[in-house]
Amino acid sequence: MPDVINQQELEQKKIFLILASPATIRERNIEIIREISTLGYHTVVITTNFPYSVLSKLYAQKGVSLDRVSFIDAVTRNSIGTAENIPRVVRYINNPANLTDMGIAVTEVLKEYSGEKVCIMYDSVSTMLIYLSSANISKFIHFVTNKLRLMDISGIFLAVEKGLDPMLMMQLTTFVDTVVDTG
Amino acid sequence: MEKVFDSHSCIEAGILDNALVMITVLGEKGEVIAWNHAAETITGHSRKEVIDSNTIWKELYPDREYRARITGKISDILKTNNYFENLETTIRTRSGESRIILWNTKTILVDGRKRAIAVGLDVTGEREAKTFRESVIDNAYVLITVIGPQGSILVWNKAAEMITGYTPAEVIGRRDIWKKIYPDTDYRRTVTQKISRIIAERNYFENLETTIVTKTGERRILSWNTRQIGSAGVFHEIAIGRDITEQRMAEESLVAYMTEMTMRLSQPVGIVSTTLLETAELVKAGLLTSEEMVTVLQAQARNTAQIAENIREFQTAIVEKNGSIPEAYRKFLEG
Repeated sequence: MPDVINQQELEQKKIFLILASPATIRERNIEIIREISTLGYHTVVITTNFPYSVLSKLYAQKGVSLDRVSFIDAVTRNSIGTAENIPRVVRYINNPANLTDMGIAVTEVLKEYSGEKVCIMYDSVSTMLIYLSSANISKFIHFVTNKLRLMDISGIFLAVEKGLDPMLMMQLTTFVDTVVDTG
Repeated sequence: MEKVFDSHSCIEAGILDNALVMITVLGEKGEVIAWNHAAETITGHSRKEVIDSNTIWKELYPDREYRARITGKISDILKTNNYFENLETTIRTRSGESRIILWNTKTILVDGRKRAIAVGLDVTGEREAKTFRESVIDNAYVLITVIGPQGSILVWNKAAEMITGYTPAEVIGRRDIWKKIYPDTDYRRTVTQKISRIIAERNYFENLETTIVTKTGERRILSWNTRQIGSAGVFHEIAIGRDITEQRMAEESLVAYMTEMTMRLSQPVGIVSTTLLETAELVKAGLLTSEEMVTVLQAQARNTAQIAENIREFQTAIVEKNGSIPEAYRKFLEG
């Protein structure tokens, strides 16, 4: 299967929107992490569905080096209440709907990797729809993409391919450089 | 002693008395010489009270200022004519009621003396009906305009002014309002062609939606209905325009909201379902600790609870936002 992320575009610090079906979105997540890890990038995964502990196991199982991945986990504390941050591994936020905390976490984690080849992956826009309106999601993604451009960092947003509101889709398309529909 | 009439004077007296209009004959100083039955009925003043006196005019026009105005107007007319036509005045009857009288007079000479025959038609009912009609048209909450055979505007009600921003003074008697409210030439042509086609088929159109530009540059959506009115080969178009801008906006926001909520329900449900299936596979493969399993399941339980909350919010919003939802559906949505 061809690479989901184009290496040249990644080098150019482009921002991607990756569309996948619900059944394959996890698979795409892992493939992308593997691809960009191979290219020497460190990926910061913002997870809003699977907790860090499970996602890291899935990566490890698929041969992804966990040294090249760290997490912003919006699931664990929301489920079990408490969890301690592990520097350069995982940073927890209390609630996936708390965009202020998420924004702060993104900013601080990216600072930690300043000067490194780093990429951010947001998994996923679709899960965020449970807690937030598309208008708020759109504002948040606009904020994140602006920050990424200012910091000259590449970013990847995952979303379920079908059923995205045309208005939200249009806005997301405007914020990113490349849309890849992986089917 | 009984007064004797010849047949001619009997006919004249009969006409005078049985006429359905006020007829009075006045002397040179305004004194009443004749006062027919209709005059008695309309004014409430009997012949006996008014004959040989000119005080009746003070009774009929008790307001000094109004009386002076009417007198002045009559004097002005009589300077050039020995008659006047269709002079409209409002009299006060004996019972204190106001009646609108349309006067026509003619001055004649009888035995070398000047006599004025005044015929007064009680047009109160007609005027009231006209005022009522005008008031209905003017106070209607829809734009009402009447277009004459040459295309000029004859009626432009208050709602028309309110919706378009153009006053009756700017519109009535002119034909250029359409250029003003449809400033885009192509759009105007499209609307005109559509109207012409419909009119050619059936002489009227119903619920034709157009977007107008108001005087302040705002866009409003109007739903138009027209009818052709008139007779004897002279036809007018009456056009009624309902401002449906807010309705359309509400419909659009409802559709947008429904699209948004459909997305916010269908997308996450797919994700939750896949996550649970994937978790089951991981459990089968013995890859998850019980603590991890609990975390995943609790996360998905929270997600589904939130989805259920979103569905409730969706139901409430639909019911509140759209008053036109049929009762049966509303009850269903309200749970």
